[in-house]
Amino acid sequence: MEKNEIVEKLRNIFISILEHDNFEMKNELSANDVEGWDSLTHMIIITTIEKQFGVKFKLREINKLGNLGNLIELVSLKIE
Amino acid sequence: MDLFLSLQNAIIKYTDKNAFFINGVFYKYYELARVISKIRKSIQDNTIDTDKYIGLILNDDLETYAAIIAIWFEGKAYVPINPETPRDRNENIIKQAVLKTIIDSSDNSLFPEYILISSNNLPDTSIDLEPKYTSEEESVYLLFTSGTTGQPKGVPITRENITGFVTAFWEMGFNIDENDRFLQMFDLTFDLSVMSYLIPLLKGACIYTIPKNKIKFGYIFELLDEQRLTFALMVPSMLQYLRPYFDEMDFPDMKYSMFCGEALALDITEEWANCLPNAKIYNVYGPTEDTIFCTHYAFERMTSNKSHNGVLSIGKAMKGTSTIIVDDQNQVLPSGSVGELCLGGVQLTPGYWKNEVINKKAFFYTKYNGIKERFYKTGDLCERDKEGDMMYIGRVDFQTQIQGFRVELSEVEFHAKTFLEKINVVAVTFADAIGNTEIGLVIESNEFGNASLYDYMKIKMPSYMIPNQIKFINKFSLNANGKIDRNKLKLLFKATENDRN
Repeated sequence: MEKNEIVEKLRNIFISILEHDNFEMKNELSANDVEGWDSLTHMIIITTIEKQFGVKFKLREINKLGNLGNLIELVSLKIE
Repeated sequence: MDLFLSLQNAIIKYTDKNAFFINGVFYKYYELARVISKIRKSIQDNTIDTDKYIGLILNDDLETYAAIIAIWFEGKAYVPINPETPRDRNENIIKQAVLKTIIDSSDNSLFPEYILISSNNLPDTSIDLEPKYTSEEESVYLLFTSGTTGQPKGVPITRENITGFVTAFWEMGFNIDENDRFLQMFDLTFDLSVMSYLIPLLKGACIYTIPKNKIKFGYIFELLDEQRLTFALMVPSMLQYLRPYFDEMDFPDMKYSMFCGEALALDITEEWANCLPNAKIYNVYGPTEDTIFCTHYAFERMTSNKSHNGVLSIGKAMKGTSTIIVDDQNQVLPSGSVGELCLGGVQLTPGYWKNEVINKKAFFYTKYNGIKERFYKTGDLCERDKEGDMMYIGRVDFQTQIQGFRVELSEVEFHAKTFLEKINVVAVTFADAIGNTEIGLVIESNEFGNASLYDYMKIKMPSYMIPNQIKFINKFSLNANGKIDRNKLKLLFKATENDRN
């Protein structure tokens, strides 16, 4: 899967769960920058990503995610 | 035991040990002592003796915790104010408590119209840890819980109450010293926080807090894993979040894992026990009105545990607490009968803050072991077995009448959960189009065909107990105390549809 394909898929997941597209898909984006991204939506976003990409994350991996760039890297690594 | 003297002694004795780990930074007991002293000086300069209650704006920093000790050593009580709570509610609390002084460690004060102590910006003073004399009847904190009428209810807890709690806590046999590491995951408006900071401070142990901007369950995992915590009091909902990752978890340093605040399911406790091979696990129970918690049940490994509808027993009263189970006429019932649990004893609040109407309803006197004693009606239904262990059945108000039949929502939940295995569910009641009470079941999952679930429930429960509607939700939302927000789930049900048949 191409990187921009991953990014687009992630963007759609975020929009469907957060119910807005008021964020920019840049590497530095973090949960604190995005309205409505809290413990609950975080959990839902992670499980949705796992389902749609057919991958499984470890909690250690999820905890290390500082920003969107890290998430894209992790997803690419997992689907290889 | 003189609680404040014990606190003073611990702070002096463990001066070079870590007291707090806040947002990645360790603070030692001597740093805590310094901040306490500064805040005390400012309280002395800014308040008069008769101002007993001091507002405390809650931030995740050393100043906020130090302010609690400073307020206590000055013989006063704190009233926690969460800056993220709607302003109206906070103003209601400030007015009810008649606060004049507010301690705030943030740069911009939210309530400039009151006397402000900016605890993050005070001049250095000499160390002063000598507690002022206060009587046992004086309050140490005043917490506001949600009232059914929408007006927050104040619960004052006295020095006698909290001393009673600490004494009973040590009676449970914990082995804790200055090398222990405690989780403090609670908002300071929730009284489980009091155990989580006070017990470690009394032993020179270290308290690990959760920064406001962190994902809670993820951060708790990091603390358990990297900081090798030894003691954690949590709400059971946290386990639901951690459960998908149990296979990654191995915390051999954990000595004690306690749960409070909600029904603790037996199956998830058994799985959790495997992550903590050396820990003792306790289910504890108690309302804010009876100071933090007042009954306890020790989970046993490799054997059967007492449970009801899959929910672990809440055990027996702690030392100094009296428990009775009564009928709706407040008559004490024999063991084996289901009734409302009522609590008396040393931890019981003197009563709701300036609220005689509710006090008359919630408290009553009855004879217990031959002596007239004051009891609090918890609103929780319990049953006591022959050995004195109590089973939590449900809330009195969750016990509803459906077509004239008595229905326990926890029983509906139990059968649904048994069929769905690891999926969590909540049963609620709602009024249908003609005002009849119906049962709604919310399943924490993506939508799936529910015919087989209905088939299963129909062989387990009478027809009036079968949910009239089922809704699916990705994840249950939690209220400010970290418990499942049942009121929010209720809103999912509309009065019109009926998909039972």
